[in-house]
Amino acid sequence: MESREVTRAEVEDFLYREAQLLDEWRLDEWLTLIEPGGRLEVPTTDWAGWDATTAGYFVADDYELIQARVKRLKSRKAHAENPHSRTHRMISNVLLLEAGAETVWISANFLIHRYRDGGAYTYVGRYEHVLKVDPDGLRFRLRRAVPVMESMDPGARLSFIL
Amino acid sequence: MAQQTPVRPLGAAGAMIDEDWEALRFRVHRSAYRDPEVFRTEVDRIWNHTWLYLGHETEIPKAGDFKTRTLGGRPLIFCRDADGQVRAFFNACTHRGTVLCRHSEGNTKFFQCFYHAWAFSNAGELAALPGDDAYPDDPAFRASMALRQVARLQIHEGFVFVAFDPDVPDLLTHLGPAAHYMSLTAKIGEHGMTTLPGVQLYSVKGNWKLAVENAMDGYHFAPTHNTFVGYLRETGFAVTDDDQYAYDLGGGHGLLVLTGHNGRIGMVWEPRFGDEEKTRTVTKRRELEARLGPELAAEVADASRILFVFPNLLLFDLEALTIRQLEPVAADRTDVRAWQFVEVGEPESVRALRIKTMVSFVGPGGLATPDDIEAYEAVQRGITATADSVDPAHDWSDMSRGMANEKQGNQGRSIDEGAMRSFWRRWAEVVGASTSVAGDPPAGTPAAGPASGGAGK
Repeated sequence: MESREVTRAEVEDFLYREAQLLDEWRLDEWLTLIEPGGRLEVPTTDWAGWDATTAGYFVADDYELIQARVKRLKSRKAHAENPHSRTHRMISNVLLLEAGAETVWISANFLIHRYRDGGAYTYVGRYEHVLKVDPDGLRFRLRRAVPVMESMDPGARLSFIL
Repeated sequence: MAQQTPVRPLGAAGAMIDEDWEALRFRVHRSAYRDPEVFRTEVDRIWNHTWLYLGHETEIPKAGDFKTRTLGGRPLIFCRDADGQVRAFFNACTHRGTVLCRHSEGNTKFFQCFYHAWAFSNAGELAALPGDDAYPDDPAFRASMALRQVARLQIHEGFVFVAFDPDVPDLLTHLGPAAHYMSLTAKIGEHGMTTLPGVQLYSVKGNWKLAVENAMDGYHFAPTHNTFVGYLRETGFAVTDDDQYAYDLGGGHGLLVLTGHNGRIGMVWEPRFGDEEKTRTVTKRRELEARLGPELAAEVADASRILFVFPNLLLFDLEALTIRQLEPVAADRTDVRAWQFVEVGEPESVRALRIKTMVSFVGPGGLATPDDIEAYEAVQRGITATADSVDPAHDWSDMSRGMANEKQGNQGRSIDEGAMRSFWRRWAEVVGASTSVAGDPPAGTPAAGPASGGAGK
């Protein structure tokens, strides 16, 4: 199937809307942005392009685990996120890298500030997503957030969706 | 070691640890987690004078491979020299002390200091001395400027340990019965075990001993990891805390043996591993039995183990395997490094399952470890409440669970706090903290580990 044309503006809208859902902790709505069978990945800070079948990762969720993660984060027993962190996401430098048969591979920079328990944490990195192009929108086939920090700072855990 | 003065007595009656076998009470004074002076004493008396886990041989497989890593606050180069020998050097130029290697990893024949271009071979010899006409023309001078090696380095089953004190006992003496449990884990792979790249580097706002306690504490599992237990239940697996035991291995080392707590990839199947893995588990057990004999195969395979090697190594042999290293930075800050530890030569599908399964639990992005980190950090904040002279009677953390059971001579359960108590006793001995003991402690402290061949059964 020939993919329809995707513009950078459409991808930007998609990413901004996703950021808003995550910052507002609207996780059920966020989950609908992931294609069934999709993956959620956060490589470690020493990442050199290894995939999650050959190297350790921070997050290497298949679709089942993404659903489990959302369910957990909605529970008041997810102690690391009860109360929820306050997060504030900035996304920029969006690039369309390559179009596949039914997908588009994009990259973007992110800057996420997180606040909790009197601590302020900054997460800096880039997204490298594979988006499924649907007739009426986009969904994540692979949602990968690559941190550029040298390590996770004191208190800077990944208990939320990066 | 010379006789040392005890650390400043801060607790009631001057004790840091209060152990009472009549009242069945064991408590630790909270200054132990909080006080910068206690922290400095720990660095001096523990980190400077005990074997420390540095890294695994498989992190530097080829001649010239190196990693740089801080241990006990000291920058080190962990490398394999041109002849294949594993070495550890202080990562500081012998000339003026500049950090010699500023890369975190790589492969090199020479480490060259950028400042004045002195260069050292990967065996530590001074190999280049620019403008050497202005230095003594004497081999002894060059020899005196060789890269400084860490005083001791010994390897057990690929686990590389170093000590900054030349007078520590041999590594195997230090490890005691813990060596056996490292060997069990090393035997899992038919073709050996290896660490993987993709190292989890993170830092927590908590004292390093909170991370040790947490790993030796089965009591927290059900409440802290409620959501993870719920996830497992939905995959068709019911976690149990029954038939699980804690062992004092001496020397501050501790062991939890967890039977039926979770599946073990290749060894104990659980539904989330999938059908292909179910078949492989049967084949793998045959392989283990053929290679190790049925008794040792059962000891390797049947139960999960969490091993703590005093003071900075945690070996998690659970669904899959993780090596975790603790690096104390300050009384209220600990750097953590974690490596996935896998079977050499396993099929790619198994490797993928292993990584997915392990990181779904462990690490700052897992579905469980973040709640542990929340616990360390909440304790670190909470214990400021009773600090100083405000409420001295309650400035204690309680670890008395299971003392009655222990007094009756029964093997401590993983959901008791016996493994923490043995850690703290060793800690007090090493740092020179005073301990108040009342009543009669049980005569025979629990044996060093479960009876061979019947791990925790």
